[in-house]
Amino acid sequence: MANVSNPLSLVGSYLDVAITFGIVLAIAPIFGAFMGRVFMNRPTFGEGIFGPIERGIYRLLGVNPRHSMRVREYAIAFLLSNGALFAWVFLLLLYQNQFPVLNTAGIPDMSWDLALHSSSSFLTNTDFTHFVTESQVSEGGLLLGLQVDMFLSAGAGLAILAAFIRGFVRKDGTIGNYFVDITRAVVRILVPVSIFGAIVYVLLGLPETFATSVSYHTLLGPIQTIPLGPAASWQSIMLLGSNGGGIFAANSSHPFENPSALTDLFGVGLMMLIPFSAPFAFAAAVRRKGEAFPYIGTILIVFLVALALVIIGQTAANPQLTPIQALSQNSFYAAGQETRFTLPEGALFQTVSVYANVGANNMAIGALSPIGQMSMLFGMFTQSTPGGVGTGMGYLLTNTLIAIFVGGLMVGRTPEYLGKKIGRQQIGWSASLLLIHPVLIFVPLVATLLGGFATLPTTGVGASAHTFTSILYEFTSEAANNGSAMGSVYVNDTTLWFNVVGAAVMLIGRFFPMLAMLMISHHFAVQSPLPPGPGTLKTQSFTFMIYLTLFLIILTALLFLPAIALGPLTQIGAGG
Amino acid sequence: MTARPPRLPGPLDPIPDESATDRPTAPATRHPILGHLRASLVLVVLAILVLGLGYPAVITAFAQEVTPLTANGSLIDYNGTVVGSSLIAQNLSAPWLFWERPSPVDYNSFNGSPTLLGYSDPALYNETEAYMQEYGPFAVNASVPEILVTVSGSGLDPDLTPEAALVQIPRIANVTGLSMVELQALVNANIVPPLLGFIGPSYVNVLHLDLALEKILPAKFRSS
Repeated sequence: MANVSNPLSLVGSYLDVAITFGIVLAIAPIFGAFMGRVFMNRPTFGEGIFGPIERGIYRLLGVNPRHSMRVREYAIAFLLSNGALFAWVFLLLLYQNQFPVLNTAGIPDMSWDLALHSSSSFLTNTDFTHFVTESQVSEGGLLLGLQVDMFLSAGAGLAILAAFIRGFVRKDGTIGNYFVDITRAVVRILVPVSIFGAIVYVLLGLPETFATSVSYHTLLGPIQTIPLGPAASWQSIMLLGSNGGGIFAANSSHPFENPSALTDLFGVGLMMLIPFSAPFAFAAAVRRKGEAFPYIGTILIVFLVALALVIIGQTAANPQLTPIQALSQNSFYAAGQETRFTLPEGALFQTVSVYANVGANNMAIGALSPIGQMSMLFGMFTQSTPGGVGTGMGYLLTNTLIAIFVGGLMVGRTPEYLGKKIGRQQIGWSASLLLIHPVLIFVPLVATLLGGFATLPTTGVGASAHTFTSILYEFTSEAANNGSAMGSVYVNDTTLWFNVVGAAVMLIGRFFPMLAMLMISHHFAVQSPLPPGPGTLKTQSFTFMIYLTLFLIILTALLFLPAIALGPLTQIGAGG
Repeated sequence: MTARPPRLPGPLDPIPDESATDRPTAPATRHPILGHLRASLVLVVLAILVLGLGYPAVITAFAQEVTPLTANGSLIDYNGTVVGSSLIAQNLSAPWLFWERPSPVDYNSFNGSPTLLGYSDPALYNETEAYMQEYGPFAVNASVPEILVTVSGSGLDPDLTPEAALVQIPRIANVTGLSMVELQALVNANIVPPLLGFIGPSYVNVLHLDLALEKILPAKFRSS
């Protein structure tokens, strides 16, 4: 069925994808070095502008930026500021119709469970939406609530990464100042790049207005109403901050969020920027340039394999449709894709989006081939290739600690990293941080099925396995704070059960690992660095990079293979 | 050989402790808990004003000045009235027009995004078969592109591949009496090529194509 007449067009359709990827990888070391300086409170580019702004903010907050916190104080500051943000957005959505100025379309108040799910979702950088944005969120709720979440949750992710990294550098038991960390992350990284991205998006033709809709008579006469809004500014921080909750329900497949192949590729760049720069930021922060190599190598290997699987899955003809004689399944288009993106462009966006824990969609994941769905799930199982803003690198470092510990045991060496001994405490927290992930996925999944909160259709194994996959996908996406959704025509996930359980999964899936990272950092920060000995593992090597990659893949496969077997693999077996 | 750059710390060098500016000097705030609570609340208020309101306001002011057409939804003016947006599909399912891709949400974004049937769901066969019937009749030996009879991710996809437009020509020629050659020329004239030859596919914007078609349609089929 493959029907690509011109081989040059085939090469051409990968050329722009390769160029986009190349540009980001060229920028990543430079931007990463900048991020490292931001993390470690060193002077950076634009100090004369950012410095005074930040000092003004510290004065308003009433914090002393020269004070460095121990873990307990850091965690309190982190939780209090997230709690304040949660309360604000929850109440704003719950009572959105009480403020007509902020709700010109008269959108009704949210039910408490939907408000709970939505405010948890955006607070935790998940942006899994159980609402139809256009008809269920007021403009006040969007801009003053959810958009504020998008900046501060990304900033919180970067702050936690900064605090985590300090454990490797400090020896006085302190891990930094949360308010300084989030302020610097927002002021120096998120705001400038968002403004740049928004301006580019404006120039590339996204809507940007405070009007919420426009109506007209279509060519054939009936009235069509289309939603409007500040899409360019929204899309920019949504992708940059690995948020992914669209200003329109159809997300980045909506032509207003993503009107052309060029905006698609620009979006890929925005999504990749911080996660792909994070290994270089880590290396710059600990002043070991070579330390970025094993991480970026691991990320690239896993990511490129995943991308290839998605593309291969989509180019194959769908066996459900091959019996239709007159139908031509062009290898570059399938159900669920938009015409204006070629398959490589669409697949790159979608894979980056899931692997960087953004969760934006520019194609329907439910219509992806089972191989593609499996690839998406794998990215959310690892959460670290490259993972979300800040947290992704944190997960990768945690995996590395376990890998070094296991490797050290195998060859009889003292497990240490960057001169810090990896002890019982660090391994305990690392392991619990990784193990909470499958617990948060499988417990709700099993409870949902056994409790009858969703039923699998009986119209065939294919439909049944697809529905199972979509419930698995829902909880995986929420536990990984990803936010992409597969959707199934057989499951309504906007019920009380899915709202409340989903909110709990997202909150635990976000805050437990982050607090665990702070604890790991603390246990490193109280140690003095050891001088390197003959037993020190050389992490800046090709061997270690391959070891880390295999370790990550095997660990993930051991934890999640049964679920993959029941979902995507059964779909393949059922002739899908 | 040029002068060697200064040696960077190797993997086995000890990490120099940060000569940080943020050593513990005084407490972060006056009161350990209340101080942090105050800082948290002020942080949220600041963020609401600057990031929630100021940021989109500044970008909107810029957009309305620089790109007013696209900033307000890329609306198309036809004979003095707005008939649609270049970016949003609308229901064009009249027998004499080129049709958009099917939309389970009725081309209405307020109904949400379509939930698609699964790749391996047998119902997908029936759905596609039904759309084939609806979009036909096609020429006897036509090969109908999958994209024409399956749902897009948004349900609002305003474009078609050139093949998906060309395959609709026999129906239109049959209804309107326009010649196939004339209609093919019309489609070909409306193909948007890839940007710079390699960014994006070749595609046809259906509303633009139908507006061009309106100009040559027999009077009884015209909308205006």
